[in-house]
Amino acid sequence: MKPTYQLISPTLGELVWNTDPTDELLSIQFAYLTYIQTNFSTTLLEVRQGFTRLSLVWKNSTSQQEFIQLSGTLNLIPEPLPEKIWQVPVCYSPKFGQDLESFARSKSLSTEEVIQLHTQPRYRIHFFGFLPGFFYLNGLSPKLHLPRKSIPSPAVPPGSVAIGGKQTGIYPIQSPGGWHIIGRSPLPFFDRKQDPPVWAKPGEQIQFILINPTQLENWTDEDTKIFLQ
Amino acid sequence: MNLKLGKAQLLRCPPGTSLQDEGRVLGANYGIPRSGAMDLHGYHWANHLLQNPQQVVALEMAQPGLRIKFEEPCLVSLAGAVAFVTVNQAPISNPSIIAMGSEDILEIGKFRAGARLYLCIEGGFQVEKYLGSGSDFVSITTPAKRSTGETLYYISNQPKTVLKAKPKWTTNWFEPEEIQAYPGPDWELLSPAQHSQLLNQPFHISKLSNRMGIQLDELVVNELEDLPTNPVFPGTVQLTPGGKIIVLMRDAGVTGGYPRILQLTEEAQNRLAQKKTGDPINFQLI
Repeated sequence: MKPTYQLISPTLGELVWNTDPTDELLSIQFAYLTYIQTNFSTTLLEVRQGFTRLSLVWKNSTSQQEFIQLSGTLNLIPEPLPEKIWQVPVCYSPKFGQDLESFARSKSLSTEEVIQLHTQPRYRIHFFGFLPGFFYLNGLSPKLHLPRKSIPSPAVPPGSVAIGGKQTGIYPIQSPGGWHIIGRSPLPFFDRKQDPPVWAKPGEQIQFILINPTQLENWTDEDTKIFLQ
Repeated sequence: MNLKLGKAQLLRCPPGTSLQDEGRVLGANYGIPRSGAMDLHGYHWANHLLQNPQQVVALEMAQPGLRIKFEEPCLVSLAGAVAFVTVNQAPISNPSIIAMGSEDILEIGKFRAGARLYLCIEGGFQVEKYLGSGSDFVSITTPAKRSTGETLYYISNQPKTVLKAKPKWTTNWFEPEEIQAYPGPDWELLSPAQHSQLLNQPFHISKLSNRMGIQLDELVVNELEDLPTNPVFPGTVQLTPGGKIIVLMRDAGVTGGYPRILQLTEEAQNRLAQKKTGDPINFQLI
């Protein structure tokens, strides 16, 4: 699982793994992240994480060249992933998941089967992207893969739980979106007044828990506190 | 020194107007985009004229029509696009630096060249900063963009003496059609025919362009599937499954799943930010 380094511009490049995203790959990415942040913090402007890349923005081209010289010789030990599992309550109903029924029909499943398949796995958080506080999760059942909608919805409400292609995620803020909306979570997923503004970290896991519409409608801040302990 | 907070009222604020500085770099870990001025060259020049410190907040406009009233005297500068400008309805021949008196109204007319105009003020507009930046973005700043009726705040001193020799802002640098780019991470996945089309054909700026991305009118036939979601940056050029080309700009999300075919230079990003709908561009590989 040794990465190659791809130079993009004099100050931008990325560590490349040409494999599918897995826990094993994430462990190695974490090892590289720790190593880079420990040893190159003075010459590095920014690191961005993706499923199969770590992108590095350097302050100058010399720093990047020095890293390239070194990176081939690195042999890092994978870092253990965190054990924290967050329970995320979700109400799966046509009222809050506008595409739940059409999604089930497209997959020739009942809505109960969709809910069962969606709440069964634990999903690994790999990184945040797309919107502030949007989790990129790995672990969606192949039985729930479905290409994105051809016409995106203009305004998906915050907390919407959705499926797009091979991925599932939660819209942290209102946004246009092309994923199929199957439910709604009452938890907040991005709050700039909190430090950090998101409560979960990459490497931690998410488990979706079924709640009913009455529970969703009567949700309180106290309920949120219980889930986010 | 006795600092006084001045008020600037947005009597009319066209869509696409926001407060911007150089943007924030520390938010990508949480999925927060960089934001910041679309044309950093114009933004920096306007601030340089006022001898402003770095990272002060300016008003970015993507359309004409702004009317702004300053309650207290102040010094303002304009750069980026070139527009017809009036103060209390009297035309200003060179609006690089303008001393505004109490209750004076500045009005921005038609853009003669360029697409994004920066209005800077001595000391910058005063807003709360998040991760070192006052740039507007949904869920980060309230409001997420600026609108008619709002009040902005600035530090009002007696303005410094206005320079006798007025510097002239030129547009020569953004007029050429060449847009320089490095091959993107996924450039090698494209066919020779796609390479040739991208580098030899002119493309035109689509009206479907905003601070997140600038789309181009012409399609490039594309059979590539989506890839695993990986980092993108301002200046990353994406090719969608439908063959659409999107140049990601300052408010783009920090990751994306479409093939990343080119990466624009900083200079090219600034130049592109000044292109109007329908303007032609040519990609040039470095």
